[in-house]
Amino acid sequence: MKRALIKYAKRGEAALLSHRETMRSLERALRRSGLPLVFTSGYNPRPRMSFSPALPLGIQAEAEYLEVSFDGETDLEAAMQVMNSALPKGLSIIDIQELTASMPKLSKWTRYGLYRVPGDVGEVFLLLALAGGKQARLKDALASLWQRLGLPIGSELRGISRVGLYASDEEVFEDAGDSVYFFDGELGELEVLTNSV
Amino acid sequence: MGIDVFLEYELLGVSHPGRYLGTEVNARNKPFSEASVRWALIYPDVYEIGMSNLGLSILYEIINDTTEAMADRAYLPWVDMQERLLECGVPLFGLESRRPLASFDILGITLQHELTYTNVVRILDLAGIPLLARERDEVCPLVIGGGPGAFNPEPIAELFDFLVLGDGEEAVLEITDAVRNWKQEKTLDRSDFLRQCASIPGIYVPSLYKFAYRADGTIDSITAEAGAPNPVKKRLLSDLDGWLYPRRPVVPLIEAVHDRVSVELFRGCTRGCRFCQAGMIYRPVRERDGRLLANWARELVANTGCDELSLTSLNSADYTSILSLSEELAMEMESRHVAVSVPSLRTDSFSVQLASRLRRVKQTGLTLAPEAGSARMRASINKGVSEEDLMRAVAAAYGEGWRKLKLYFMIGLPSEGEEDVEEIWRVVRRIMREGDSGAPAKGLKLSVSISTFVPKPHTPLQWAAQMTPPEIARRHFILKEGLRMKGVTLRWHSREMSYLEGIISRGDRRLLPAVISASRQGCLDGWGEFFSWRRWEEALATEGLNPAWYAERERPFDEILPWDHLHCGVERDYLWEEYRKAGEGESTPDCRIRDCTFCGACPGKGASA
Repeated sequence: MKRALIKYAKRGEAALLSHRETMRSLERALRRSGLPLVFTSGYNPRPRMSFSPALPLGIQAEAEYLEVSFDGETDLEAAMQVMNSALPKGLSIIDIQELTASMPKLSKWTRYGLYRVPGDVGEVFLLLALAGGKQARLKDALASLWQRLGLPIGSELRGISRVGLYASDEEVFEDAGDSVYFFDGELGELEVLTNSV
Repeated sequence: MGIDVFLEYELLGVSHPGRYLGTEVNARNKPFSEASVRWALIYPDVYEIGMSNLGLSILYEIINDTTEAMADRAYLPWVDMQERLLECGVPLFGLESRRPLASFDILGITLQHELTYTNVVRILDLAGIPLLARERDEVCPLVIGGGPGAFNPEPIAELFDFLVLGDGEEAVLEITDAVRNWKQEKTLDRSDFLRQCASIPGIYVPSLYKFAYRADGTIDSITAEAGAPNPVKKRLLSDLDGWLYPRRPVVPLIEAVHDRVSVELFRGCTRGCRFCQAGMIYRPVRERDGRLLANWARELVANTGCDELSLTSLNSADYTSILSLSEELAMEMESRHVAVSVPSLRTDSFSVQLASRLRRVKQTGLTLAPEAGSARMRASINKGVSEEDLMRAVAAAYGEGWRKLKLYFMIGLPSEGEEDVEEIWRVVRRIMREGDSGAPAKGLKLSVSISTFVPKPHTPLQWAAQMTPPEIARRHFILKEGLRMKGVTLRWHSREMSYLEGIISRGDRRLLPAVISASRQGCLDGWGEFFSWRRWEEALATEGLNPAWYAERERPFDEILPWDHLHCGVERDYLWEEYRKAGEGESTPDCRIRDCTFCGACPGKGASA
């Protein structure tokens, strides 16, 4: 059994599809792709798939992930093309690659999420832990951020996108420039992380 | 506020925004500005129900396949979205084009169920279109209706410029042509154009027919204006093989109630159940070729990525080569992990075996519909199923590994006594006691679903009285008491909803003001929480209408019925004879198995009269 990692974006109005609806759309596109999928057993078999942590409704994304199992030889590039012709507007596959056996599972390395938040004075980056002790909800993090920036709480979600998922908070600077706001879910506090390298 | 801006700002605040995006896979998105005839196909219920309708998805593709026309879609938004639209002053729009419905040429509304009629009014109100056809001017879209409700549309007929009776495949193309010519030539005014439309077979233009009433409330006459057909005969497609639609159905963005692709094996049913409207109005049976069906099914699965394929019809086990077709498809689909299902099965062991063979991919439920508990009642409705058939079907299902079965029964049938209702619980108890070929069926769970009989136009029971809600309540009580047992769950339809369904189903034009006022007071009848019998009672009383007169009254043979000018093919005399036989408990065999019964539905064959 082989594994493939699929990287996809969720842009524009596709942000209005729930996590469940997004999963369904991707599953259907996968079924059409010709990829020899491996199915779960049981009363209601489904393709063996795992997804990166759910994205809240209304948030766009540049780099979400989906891991699937398959059997046999296959042309991943061609499968990606079919999938891209079979997705609702706004959902698109950016990359597909085969994983080696030693590469960690999706859930092991999607522990931090980086969000780009547009604002009047330019965009800011917000980081939060999606698992572990410091785990936080985006809603709470945004409330804290808006307060810090002097915006009314509950300012709109439009335009926010999750731009990356990471195993540790040190990797984020590749995508976020030199400083990000980090919301610590345990303390309920917003702090500023700067690139020390 | 523009529709795009509205959507950008408001969608995040409503439930299931995916309902309103129109960005589905296989959405055709034909340019609005380039089309010379623009259709909006409308299902008057929420997206996830409307998207499961086969009829509209057929017409969607047929229209979009013609060069000069386009078809968009619309559904009734959920109440939160309705409020946003009204607050922002944004009219209801087509999902793909995001143009106001009022800017289309034709709004095609399907009438699947009487309890969606208040929704139809709500849709026109949200679209900002004058409700009554006679109040609409040249710039308003033509509002047209179709579906089973078109066979007695009278309670809301005056909302429509015209309705299409019967199969829509050819009719939509003829309508498209007529509208295109009308728009280009600009020689006819709206009413003359409608007169012209009345000559298209199957088209009923309500404004050309006048009703006169007697002092006792019954209809004195239905008169057609010169040139308008009387009766209007339904459209009948005799060869379905030329119309394999849909091919690339729109894939719902949010989970639909029937989340699957369907191929229609055949249209029509000749089993002859006397309560069943579909079994009369879709006659005769027209089967599709097995080879074509198999290829079509493959294409549908490939074009949608759907994981369930349904071999659909009114009675799929009756398809001539059902075994070979379903076997072939099930084997092939198994390798792709696509489940094949056959809905609407008969209550016999053949059907159970069939369902069992298809159950390779997914564990599906099994539903049996004996319809009535007593042999006398089953004979009366011509449901040719014996209690032993049912027991054998249950034993077969149990033997094949099913532990959860659903049973459908109907109560409130004409001449039904309480002892007939008691038979339902006796049969259910018997199944629990000896469901496994005579032995108690260990671990068996039964879900017993009880519906209320509602007399429907164009059926043998169209003359019968409907039972009152208090009488139905007593029957529900009998069932509840009798079925207090482990492993059995009981559910029933709302008594008041069934009663309202009965009023509208056999209603006439005098009901319209009540439908409008109920809708405007917030009744959306199909949506449980927005159904209010109290408001309906007020609306009916305000118009001086007596609900009992519509629902509870048995009609004599010579009374003019509000749908006597609309013809589904089956002759009125045949229906009356069937009504008499219902009273006597006489059976009428299926003409596909025995001789022709001369119902009138087959072109070229006579009727009994």
